Amino acid sequence: MPEFFHRKIERTAIGFVVAIIAAASVGGIVEIAPLFTIDETVENVADMRLYTPLELAGRNVYIQEGCYACHSQMIRTLADEVDRYGPFSLAVESQYDHPMLWGSKRTGPDLARIGGKYSDVWHAAHLNNPRDVVPQSNMPAYSWLARTPLEVDNLGHHLAAQRAVGVPYTDEMIANAARDALGQATPDSDAAFSILDRYGEETQVSAFDGVATSVTQLDALIAYLQVLGQMTDAAYLDTAASELPPDAEDRDVTQAEEERN
Amino acid sequence: MSKTEVDPATGEQTTGHEWNGIKELDNPVPRGVLIFVVVTHVFAILWWFLMPAFPLGWTYTRGLLGIDQRATVEQAISANQAERASWTSAIETSSFDQIQADESLMAVVKDTGPQLFGDNCGACHGFDASGRSNYPDLTDGDWLWGDGSAEAVAETMRVGINTSHPESRFAQMPAFGRDGMLASADVRTVARYVYSLSHPEFSTEENLESIAQGESLFAENCSGCHGAAALGDAETGTPNLTDAYWLYGGELDQIIESVHGGRAGHMPTWDERLTPVERKVLALYVHSLGGTTP
Amino acid sequence: MAGSLTGEERRTCLLILGVLALCALGIAVPGRWDPIGVHGLMVVLLCAGAAGYLLLRLNVPEPSPEELSGYYDAPIKVGVGLTMAWAIFGMFVGVWVAAQLAWPDLTFHQAWSSFGRLRPAHTTGVIFGFGGNALITTSYHVVQRTSRAPLADRVSPWFVLFGFNLFCLLAVTGYAMGLTQSKEYAEPEWYADIWLVIVWVTYFVLFLRTLARRKEPHIYVANWYYLAFIVVVAILHIVNNLAVPITLASAKSYTVWPGVQDAMVQWWYGHNAVAFFLTAGFLAMMYYYLPKRADRPIFSYRLSILSFWGITFFYMWAGSHHLHYTALPHWVQTLGMSFSVMLLVPSWASAGNALMTMRGAWHKLRDDATLRFMVVAAVFYGLSTFEGSFMAIRAVNSLSHYTDWTVGHVHAGALGWVALITFGSLYTLVPSVWKRQSMYSNALVELHFWLALSGTLIYIFAMWNSGVIQGLMWRTYTENNALAYSFVDSLVAMYPYYIARTVGGFLFLLGAIVGSINIWLTVRRSPASQAAPGVYDRPHDLDPTPNAAE
Ligand code: HEC
Ligand code: HEC
Ligand code: HEC
Ligand code: HEM
Ligand code: HEM
Ligand SMILES: [Ca+2]
Ligand SMILES: [Ca+2]
Ligand SMILES: [Cu+2]
Repeated sequence: MPEFFHRKIERTAIGFVVAIIAAASVGGIVEIAPLFTIDETVENVADMRLYTPLELAGRNVYIQEGCYACHSQMIRTLADEVDRYGPFSLAVESQYDHPMLWGSKRTGPDLARIGGKYSDVWHAAHLNNPRDVVPQSNMPAYSWLARTPLEVDNLGHHLAAQRAVGVPYTDEMIANAARDALGQATPDSDAAFSILDRYGEETQVSAFDGVATSVTQLDALIAYLQVLGQMTDAAYLDTAASELPPDAEDRDVTQAEEERN
Repeated sequence: MSKTEVDPATGEQTTGHEWNGIKELDNPVPRGVLIFVVVTHVFAILWWFLMPAFPLGWTYTRGLLGIDQRATVEQAISANQAERASWTSAIETSSFDQIQADESLMAVVKDTGPQLFGDNCGACHGFDASGRSNYPDLTDGDWLWGDGSAEAVAETMRVGINTSHPESRFAQMPAFGRDGMLASADVRTVARYVYSLSHPEFSTEENLESIAQGESLFAENCSGCHGAAALGDAETGTPNLTDAYWLYGGELDQIIESVHGGRAGHMPTWDERLTPVERKVLALYVHSLGGTTP
Repeated sequence: MAGSLTGEERRTCLLILGVLALCALGIAVPGRWDPIGVHGLMVVLLCAGAAGYLLLRLNVPEPSPEELSGYYDAPIKVGVGLTMAWAIFGMFVGVWVAAQLAWPDLTFHQAWSSFGRLRPAHTTGVIFGFGGNALITTSYHVVQRTSRAPLADRVSPWFVLFGFNLFCLLAVTGYAMGLTQSKEYAEPEWYADIWLVIVWVTYFVLFLRTLARRKEPHIYVANWYYLAFIVVVAILHIVNNLAVPITLASAKSYTVWPGVQDAMVQWWYGHNAVAFFLTAGFLAMMYYYLPKRADRPIFSYRLSILSFWGITFFYMWAGSHHLHYTALPHWVQTLGMSFSVMLLVPSWASAGNALMTMRGAWHKLRDDATLRFMVVAAVFYGLSTFEGSFMAIRAVNSLSHYTDWTVGHVHAGALGWVALITFGSLYTLVPSVWKRQSMYSNALVELHFWLALSGTLIYIFAMWNSGVIQGLMWRTYTENNALAYSFVDSLVAMYPYYIARTVGGFLFLLGAIVGSINIWLTVRRSPASQAAPGVYDRPHDLDPTPNAAE
């Protein structure tokens, strides 16, 4: 009998197309739509911060260079990964990531919690030529990043587009995007202080690549790397992972937990 | 309309259709395939009952076993910690001397140290801890901070050097040349003096005068930190400038660069990233690399 | 090319080129300080070149009435050339990136040639350039033969073929400039994505209209698969690439999907790109060229039904096996895993159907390397789908994920299945379309076969080894319950395998070059040695009126 039915749809091209669409749609709908309706999917945390314009630009450099081809940013729920890289990644940690950069290959180590692990100077040397600091490395040398000025003028458009896809940037952040990017890479400038007002005291202001007079793609990329894993403490709470949250000394953990509930 | 035929090679019936010479046999689906269908479906359905599986609008089926990956990994980590407790608690509660005296604990240190060092420290200090330009050698017995005892190493690791940790160690060499504290000729002169300290052969007749000039510049500008005899101070992380160990290089050019542009190496704090036990293990491991016997 | 079009059709082409050039100009001018401006200019120049070519040939004689009513094979001939050109490009870049992992300074400190930018050039080059052109080309061939009807239109086949290649070109040149959305296998930016939608809809309409003209009452299995490939890829492509450009004069865009939802959409796409691009389309090839070459009937029509609908339904649920143990909720992972296991049945049913079709023709394998290409491809298809279903089991994936094992699996499928079935199909198609008795040299086909097979085996054994070693080193604990190896230890252990993989890939590339030369010589061969047409095409009577049974 089923073949008899099949004999029929086999005789009409349109019918066949409709049948294909019907059969192929179910899986995607069942698996994707509920990710928006089930609240549990993304943890609700109070301290989640936004990427500053410089960090967002750095994220775009990370994308442009295809770092995700070798580095994951997703610590899985496996004991060895937690032992090596820190608490497993939570959905909320990439809540504002358009696109996500979880990666699918670890030619190099996971970078989900690389922020604060090394110094800016180390990153600058490593990106310029990894084999200068890690002779065994097969990571490419990104020597042009330090020479390529960062385009900051259109960062306002970037933030606006991010807002259009759901990241809560304010009008003020959008209006000051270029200035904030410059300020974050030039310590002691006026702009360096206003960025703390807008993005929080935790924001790292630094001459990331060691040169405070110009803002390069390398500055942006290091700013981004230094903030990975530092956007919220959520992953450190409620887990058996033995590490303390990144800013434990000035933050009361139980209080943060209360904020969360 | 369509004529079924018999395939001469196998004696099986065709369906009677033909497409540019291609025909199909009308064989039934082999029994093995059907069994395979049943087996995989039974497995899948069973799995859906046991595990979290299907979405229900605002929630999802949790599965009869009540398993969730997060709870599972928390358990695995706790179990691991419990097993490790056989030595972690001993390391936590014992003093460095006690641990060093305990062979079985030191065996643990030598077993776990290399991985911790490789994943956290090797990128800067080299995977054999022998350092490289700008990153100190941890095996040479020359220490910037403290005496190279495990305690001192552990404290350096905890607070870091030049970090934002509230108790961070600070070690900043001013930029005499760049910041205009010394004229560039003077920078070169004092550097020649410093160079002569570790290179006696440099003190030739013709150099003596300028070295003497450098010596007085040194006394004015540098001795406050590096000491009158340039022997440094392990309390403040100021390097000894008379020996063969150099963080930024002991060639004349490199010394000039240090004096001109200043130095402030950044050693991260491991207070949050590593547990006290891990730091203790690492300190003992570093210590065991022979760094106490120059 | 131009000679196969009527004067009016040539003018239509010019019109299309004009409109496209105008649109490109509209992008090039406002986007001049941005890579999008470079792309706009590139398209304007390409359109001008194509228009110049056509204008110079406006007076070339029009095709004869017999030619106009027969099968339309001119685009197929061009498609074969494009397929082989992309094969060599994509595999050359593959060998290059493989070598970079062993000798990282092979980037020569150039931005465009660094690993992160070349790797997508490789995947796009082979999957879309090589695979996509092979699919379009063979679909034109198969749909006409199995429908006993010429293509429904004579301009749109060219539009689809060249439009698709333009998409690939935008993609690859974009990566070199640092343009990417970072979505694996969907890296091109928003304007290239929109262009592909236009091309793809045209393809769909062309294919459907050709099917509607068929003179066979039933649609042949191969065409089910081509249809599924065209329709589902359109759905996947549109959903995954929804994005907001920062301005219309900028190449950069941000995907609408956030974090965890983006991950799910991406791998729903990514996995089904495998399913409907690298599997369904190539199964279509297999269902036509294998029985054709073996001259045997398909083993079981009913098994074809089971596997086709199994693949179409189950595959779409399996994408979450790329996200095991991640921040994606556990329930989705359960679905991904269980459907991947059920998916093995239709996958093996297809492979089995192909192998059982060989009953009574096994002896042909000894002398016919072309047929051997296709049979070995079916075996690798069975192998890589088994491996895939195995790796989709969470516990196995905890070891294999992030490691070279995945890369080994990919290339068992990509080299062993996708590339081998394509070469086998092309060696069947080329003599048929160019009306030659056989390929120029059977010895070269034989040589190609052994180069390809040994290259594939070296590649996948190297990656299985390195992947399993890597995975184990990451999770090995000492007796004190502490991790045994640092990451760099595992990296150092990879180097020998990275070198071996480069060697395997090089052999495979060599085979593709040999194949291209052979095809070139076959085409060039003097028509005097032509066989009577119809060695592979049975005589047919073409009737332009659509089949009444429809
Ligand atoms: C060819 C693969 C490859 C690419 C592409 C690559 N890396 Fe790496 N990366 C590695 C490897 C291997 C290591 C480990 C050895 C080392 O430290 O160099 C590494 C290490 C790192 C580390 C140190 C991680 C740690 O915990 O020690 C950082 C940070 C990093 N890479 C950032 C980047 C960034 C940013 C990019 C892109 C601009 C990038 N990588 C591109 C392979 C790669
Ligand atoms: C404010 C204290 C201070 C003063 C004054 C000072 N230094 Fe230093 N110096 C340091 C510290 C601290 C370091 C180590 C920096 C580091 O660890 O990164 C250092 C490092 C150096 C080095 C590099 C040593 C190596 O191992 O590579 C040289 C050379 C040096 N100082 C020379 C001088 C000279 C010459 C003067 C005077 C012109 C001077 N210092 C004045 C604190 C000082
Ligand atoms: C980002 C690079 C970096 C990493 C990672 C790093 N260090 Fe350091 N470390 C340094 C630098 C730079 C110094 C020297 C600081 C200075 O110039 O005063 C240093 C100094 C030290 C010292 C003091 C040496 C002395 O002579 O007193 C010790 C001990 C040490 N590191 C141990 C470690 C250990 C153990 C780890 C791993 C847990 C580690 N370091 C990781 C950069 C690093
Ligand atoms: C000459 C032969 C080839 C060589 C040497 C080669 C080499 C490589 C290399 C080195 C990578 C990167 C792996 C990594 O990141 O560690 C890769 C990835 C990939 N290649 Fe190939 N390749 C070849 C042929 C092909 C073909 C013919 C196809 C498809 C039809 C293909 C599809 C892919 C895909 C899909 C990936 C991405 C895998 C992933 O993300 O896991 N390759 N290839
Ligand atoms: C039953 C069929 C198959 C199943 C269940 C399956 C399953 C899988 C699994 C579990 C992974 C690893 C995901 C990860 O850990 O990251 C994977 C990766 C992959 N598979 Fe398959 N596979 C199948 C068939 C194929 C075939 C025939 C191909 C053809 C080329 C293929 C191409 C790929 C590619 C390209 C990837 C890499 C994706 C990426 O990470 O970039 N698969 N597959
Ligand atoms: Ca991948
Ligand atoms: Ca895209
Ligand atoms: Cu998949």
